[in-house]
Amino acid sequence: MNKEEIIEKLKEAMKGSSEVQVDWDSVSEESTIESLGFDSLSILDLIYDVQQLFDVEFEAEAMVGVSTVGSLVDFLQGKLQS
Amino acid sequence: MLLRIALAIVDVMPLSVAEGFARFLADIYCELNVKRRQVAIDNIKRSGIAEDDDETRRIARDSFRHFAVLIIESIKSDRFFDKENWRDKVEMDIPEETMELLKKPGQGILLVSGHLGNWEVAAQLLSYLKPVMAITRDMNNPYSNNLILKRKSRERLTLTPKHSADGGRFLNVLRNGEVLALLNDQYARDRGMKVDFFGSPAETHTAVAMLHFITKAPICFGYCVRTGSMSFKFKATKPMVFKPTGDRNADTRAVLESLNRELEAAIREYPEQYLWAHRRWK
Repeated sequence: MNKEEIIEKLKEAMKGSSEVQVDWDSVSEESTIESLGFDSLSILDLIYDVQQLFDVEFEAEAMVGVSTVGSLVDFLQGKLQS
Repeated sequence: MLLRIALAIVDVMPLSVAEGFARFLADIYCELNVKRRQVAIDNIKRSGIAEDDDETRRIARDSFRHFAVLIIESIKSDRFFDKENWRDKVEMDIPEETMELLKKPGQGILLVSGHLGNWEVAAQLLSYLKPVMAITRDMNNPYSNNLILKRKSRERLTLTPKHSADGGRFLNVLRNGEVLALLNDQYARDRGMKVDFFGSPAETHTAVAMLHFITKAPICFGYCVRTGSMSFKFKATKPMVFKPTGDRNADTRAVLESLNRELEAAIREYPEQYLWAHRRWK
């Protein structure tokens, strides 16, 4: 799965768990996870969705420290390739 | 300052005197605080556990007394229990499977409870088996809050105020093989899911379900009821494991409904030991 595909799939996951209004078309790799409506607790919903959608298991605490969409994509790409 | 003095007085009072005094104050509080008493009565009626108004009032009054004694027990429990003697003083009603998990090094556990029995003593006792992080509700006064947090934190028991809730930290606790203890009957405001509690929908925190699915840490419902003066029975369920289906809402609901059912059953058994005066349904 390439970067663009991961971003699109990730947006899908985020749409399902974000509780704020977001213009998803304008979301880029530089967008922060926080600006998309995720805090230290609601990130758990996103982790669940990501695990299910990408069918990957990973040490979830590593994802909590990820701050931007771009770094989250890199993180997932690494997990999908391993 | 007042709290510090009160704690010092309770420290030196014999247990039976302190308990009696606490019950006396609870009766006065119950009489004078009409609003809070009404919350308890309304909640008991809503739950349908009392047969008539007399029983409702009795449960409400006993619940206030219970909570007052709980405070005394929580202040004094350090003097009564330590990691050497606690097993002789506490009756354990815990399935073998759960006990094995508690003894297994590296095994994280989600211990879910409610405002039933003495949850503070429960966390203390549990910490003799495994390190515990317990999530607590803040006191309104920050000075009092710090004093209580400092006083109650123990070698293997960490208290985390609810306002500092941090998913990453919780994940680490479970990954490190510790117990994450939560009271899941607190009103969740806009962060929860409406789940039936005694037949009425109540906003319920969802974090426990997410933590379970993400980490695969088993969930145990447990509580510690008072059986006498500074005497307790620790009860817990078998470990619960739910399989994620990919439908987050449905999966979360399955976990929370199951936990609410466990809590309801426990409350039916010990209605006087439940904190009815907190606003579970808003």
